[in-house]
Amino acid sequence: MRARAHGAEAASHRSRGMTVAGYVGMVLVLLLVGVPLFWIVITSLKERGDIYVQPAQWLPDPATTANYHDVTTRIPFLDYFRNSVIITLVLSASKIVLGVISAYALSLLRFPGRGVVFLVVIAALMVPNQITVISNYALVAQLGWRNTFQGIIVPLAGVAFGTFLMRNQFLSLPGEIIEAARLDGAGPIKLLWRVVLPMSWPTLVAFSLITVVNEWNEYLWPFLMSDDQRTAPLPVGLTLLQNNDGVTNWGPVMAGTVLAMLPVLVLFLVLQRQMIKGLTAGAVKS
Amino acid sequence: MNNVTRRGFLGLAGVAGAAGLSACAGTGTSATSNQGGDGNTLEFWSNHPGNSKPVEQELIAAFQKANPGITVKLVDAGKNYEEVAQKFNGALVGGTLPDLVVVSDVTWFNFALNKQLTPLDDLMTTAKVDPSDYVDALYGDYLFDGGHFALPYSRSTPLFYYNKEIWSKAGLEDRGPKTWDEFKEWSEALKAAAGNGKFAMELPDGSNYLDWHFQNMAWGYGGGYSQEWTPTFTAEGTVKAGQYLQDIAKAGVVKFNATPEADFSAGLAGCILQSTGSLGGIAKDAKFEVGTAFLPGEGNCPTGGAGLGIPANISDERKANALKLAEFITNAENTVTFTQATGYMPVRKSAVELPAEKEYLAKNPNAKTAIDQLPQTRSQDNARVLLPGGGARIGKGLDQVAQGQDVATVFAGLDKESQQVFDNQIKSKL
Repeated sequence: MRARAHGAEAASHRSRGMTVAGYVGMVLVLLLVGVPLFWIVITSLKERGDIYVQPAQWLPDPATTANYHDVTTRIPFLDYFRNSVIITLVLSASKIVLGVISAYALSLLRFPGRGVVFLVVIAALMVPNQITVISNYALVAQLGWRNTFQGIIVPLAGVAFGTFLMRNQFLSLPGEIIEAARLDGAGPIKLLWRVVLPMSWPTLVAFSLITVVNEWNEYLWPFLMSDDQRTAPLPVGLTLLQNNDGVTNWGPVMAGTVLAMLPVLVLFLVLQRQMIKGLTAGAVKS
Repeated sequence: MNNVTRRGFLGLAGVAGAAGLSACAGTGTSATSNQGGDGNTLEFWSNHPGNSKPVEQELIAAFQKANPGITVKLVDAGKNYEEVAQKFNGALVGGTLPDLVVVSDVTWFNFALNKQLTPLDDLMTTAKVDPSDYVDALYGDYLFDGGHFALPYSRSTPLFYYNKEIWSKAGLEDRGPKTWDEFKEWSEALKAAAGNGKFAMELPDGSNYLDWHFQNMAWGYGGGYSQEWTPTFTAEGTVKAGQYLQDIAKAGVVKFNATPEADFSAGLAGCILQSTGSLGGIAKDAKFEVGTAFLPGEGNCPTGGAGLGIPANISDERKANALKLAEFITNAENTVTFTQATGYMPVRKSAVELPAEKEYLAKNPNAKTAIDQLPQTRSQDNARVLLPGGGARIGKGLDQVAQGQDVATVFAGLDKESQQVFDNQIKSKL
């Protein structure tokens, strides 16, 4: 008895220690992530002369919204914003659809050459897109697609990563459920829509989030394809605020960054709740 | 909906596969062939150096007014010179070439070497443009194989910036050092005057153009990076300069940093070497009186910045009109407009005689220092600007020296590497 009590006491000690360590860890991570974000936000509210000072100014004094005004007037911010929205929406939608249906075919449908197709997709994942930039450029330029949305979107719409991720998710689903659904007469589309996808909701949401964030931040290809605000997205537009030979005025750059960050942040907050809902709804008795 | 056949799914999978492949590659047919194109619609690819987009638009509007029938499209070609070069490279492989493109001191040569830029000399003779009005050192930078491959546009030089408050606290005369040895004599007083946690001098590190500024030290001690194509890192003067850099770093006089101009504006550094292009920004940010001076030494100031080039594979009509545009935006009057808005140097000799410029310089003595320094400039060494990867290679070596590695060994390594790069990549094409 005594030994057990002793052991329990030690365990509770240890667990209290672990709890404290856990909280310290959380606070550290929060600071690590939060401080740069905080710094971006307050810099966007500072006057130019207050940005580079020592000791550092932790609260803008005086606070000003002039930087935000500057961003929206010095560059055609709304044009870039619209382009970003169009490119991100179309690209994400096509990537998600292509990823899901190709993964479904590669995991749950049986057809000849399935393994080879999967290998080719995986191989595509291994090729960094910087390598294919020049040849893609040549192809797209000859099609006359420079400065068009399809020129930006089509070459980026391939989805090796999504196929890979969703395929592995689909394979991890219990085979009995799939069998049962098939026995009950579910066709391929119904099987995908009613059985497979609802059980894969969290992975799908995670995949969608990653895709949206990636497309929103895409820089190199849209930069090469577009010459001005007709098709260039935000990350390309914001570089116009930086001074490439001299001192950059960081206030407007930070204000632009905050504005560019907001939509993704909102989307994340919304989808995060969905992700948790999906996690609990996916509890299926096998 | 429910009765999709297996065959139907195979088809869908095929479509998905094709889309996956679109992420891979495709190559165009011969791309470097001569492009025709409309000579009256010009494309000008620029990174708008020094936030100059509004000024560029203003100059283009003036050009269109003076040359009815020609329209010019200004293209955002990147955020820095390297991105413009990348985009231009893409266009050379396939796609529509620009008519006029911004090329920097380190990017123009590779294009000239591969015959992707036009030598401008004949075009200028035909158009009756007199090149002798361009500042000699700036125009001479683009000379290769008997031809000039660009016209100077957004050109800068390093400048010695100092904090007048720290200077007077250290009891120094209100001027820059005449030689690097003199600066060393001043350094103890400057360190004391700057105070704890601050530095007498800050320099950019090797990834941020230390190799550009260090040329001044190397030349000051009689050395340099190269003579024509022969690397001279192991020459006595160059090693001496490297040793000097190491000594002041060891003594805690100088600190290396990615953006010294930021620390300087915050009052954390007594002095810095930085591009004339930073003049406007520093003047706005600093809360103390800023002094400017020539770089130490006589005739030892490297040039820098960018010029305007014309692609080789476009029609003669386009070339002629592109030259007209290049000449127009770099003529005396317009170079004044452009440089006053950005902080770059006027590229024409006659520019400083214009009343608008005289008045501006009288009001801005720091800008005048930069222009007065122009006769002291010298074209940069081939090993930095013409050898592929030269700046980055030398910068890395200087970082090692600053951290205390043996100067002779590091420089001997640079000598060997530079020679190899020259032998492998340049020699056969000359």
